[in-house]
Amino acid sequence: MDSPEPKRTVSREDASKESMAISRQVIGINFCGPTPLMWRADELKSARELGIIGTLVGSLARQPRQNTRLGRPLELLPEEGRLLADMGRAAVIPDSTNEDPEVNPEQVQQYHAGMENSFQEQGAMALEDRKTTLLRVMTAKHNGEGTSSLTYRHLCDTSESCVLALTPLCFLLEDSGSQEDSNGAVRDRLEALDHGFSFPRTAMAVQLCTARAGLSHCPEVRRLLATDWPIPRDERSETRFRVFRDLRRQGFYLTSAGKFGGDYLVYPGDPLRFHAYFIVVCISMDESMPLCDVLAIARLGSNVKKTVLLCSSGESQEDDGEEVVYTSLQWSGMV
Amino acid sequence: MSELTKKTDEDVIEKPLPPNWILQHPMYQHLMNLDVGDSAQVHAAFLVYLDLAEVRQWKEVSGVGCSELRLVLLEGREKEGEPTQTVLPLPVHRGLCHRSVRSVLARGSPMLLCVVASDSSLVYQRMCDGLLTPDPPVCIQDQGRRQHRKRRQQH
Repeated sequence: MDSPEPKRTVSREDASKESMAISRQVIGINFCGPTPLMWRADELKSARELGIIGTLVGSLARQPRQNTRLGRPLELLPEEGRLLADMGRAAVIPDSTNEDPEVNPEQVQQYHAGMENSFQEQGAMALEDRKTTLLRVMTAKHNGEGTSSLTYRHLCDTSESCVLALTPLCFLLEDSGSQEDSNGAVRDRLEALDHGFSFPRTAMAVQLCTARAGLSHCPEVRRLLATDWPIPRDERSETRFRVFRDLRRQGFYLTSAGKFGGDYLVYPGDPLRFHAYFIVVCISMDESMPLCDVLAIARLGSNVKKTVLLCSSGESQEDDGEEVVYTSLQWSGMV
Repeated sequence: MSELTKKTDEDVIEKPLPPNWILQHPMYQHLMNLDVGDSAQVHAAFLVYLDLAEVRQWKEVSGVGCSELRLVLLEGREKEGEPTQTVLPLPVHRGLCHRSVRSVLARGSPMLLCVVASDSSLVYQRMCDGLLTPDPPVCIQDQGRRQHRKRRQQH
């Protein structure tokens, strides 16, 4: 099986192999309800190279309260996702959030073990930190720096929650023992710390992963899941999909046309570089359109300098070979 | 047909028209006799005929019946020597299906849809087969900062 992981050697062959591997990679699609979403940046690039544009719908962490610039996930039209699946380039990643924890006791056990480990480590580190501070206090005192108030505050700042450890130290600061006593005092206090120190659970820092490990699904698993695409069986979705596929085949780029009241906007190239040429309205051959609606959308089209396309898919039932027919609505020029 | 309705100024004798003058109009009767569309559609077709023939001065405007669609269509030339165009007249309350449009387009001549409102106002909409690239926008020069300056002034 090909591994898509990039090799670290700098040979040209490897680099081209890597780019080929990326271009052949299977794109993972996560569903949120009925909506297909894509999360990984490299997959967004692959999809765009295939002519799948989508819409960014995620909030940016550093610019949350605006929607001119949005981030991942990329929301796909149902037709876009289905086309990727049909091409064998995408697979649905199963939703693991609803999994019963009992189903995966190993993972739960691993998690708790990891937490306990972390707790022990942090406790040890906190103790070391305390001891260092204590030594510093003692040596400062020994050198007669008279910084007792500062060091007291420093002690308080370093660990607000280690109250138990603080208490004997407070008394220590009042001690004005002689120089010969101080070394012994340090040893005694260090020992007291060792015995009396306890690191409370509430002080433990827990790491939250912002990069979800589950996103790096291995490609073999994705290929297994490739047949899982939910295919809607109503005529309207079918018509929309056939129109989408046909226009994509002709090399156009399509996005959703919510702002114009149609089904798609059709661009002759990447939407970042071109204005749209067409507003697509998908209808069935026999569906009766109210004339007011026809006139309204035609008028809108001529106002924004786009041609309105009425699109229907032909009669045949097979997937290939059915024809999509297009009728363009044009400004008549007759006032 | 349109020649029948044209009269020179000297020939016109101002007599009041009967209220049902449409029904007596030879073209209207011709369209009715085609026996295809319902009366509302025939009425719409007649109004479009009057507009094309009298107002826009189209040549050789005639009515044809399309039995497949059960509709009356009009054919005519915008100017002498130009190819014939087909006009599909419909009253506004009707629906239109894509199949009917394709049938009319299949006749081969340029097609116009004409929608007739209840107050007799007419709207023409051209339809053609395939993907027709639109005209480019008038000004394609980069506006630079002007766009943002305008928006700021509005606030």
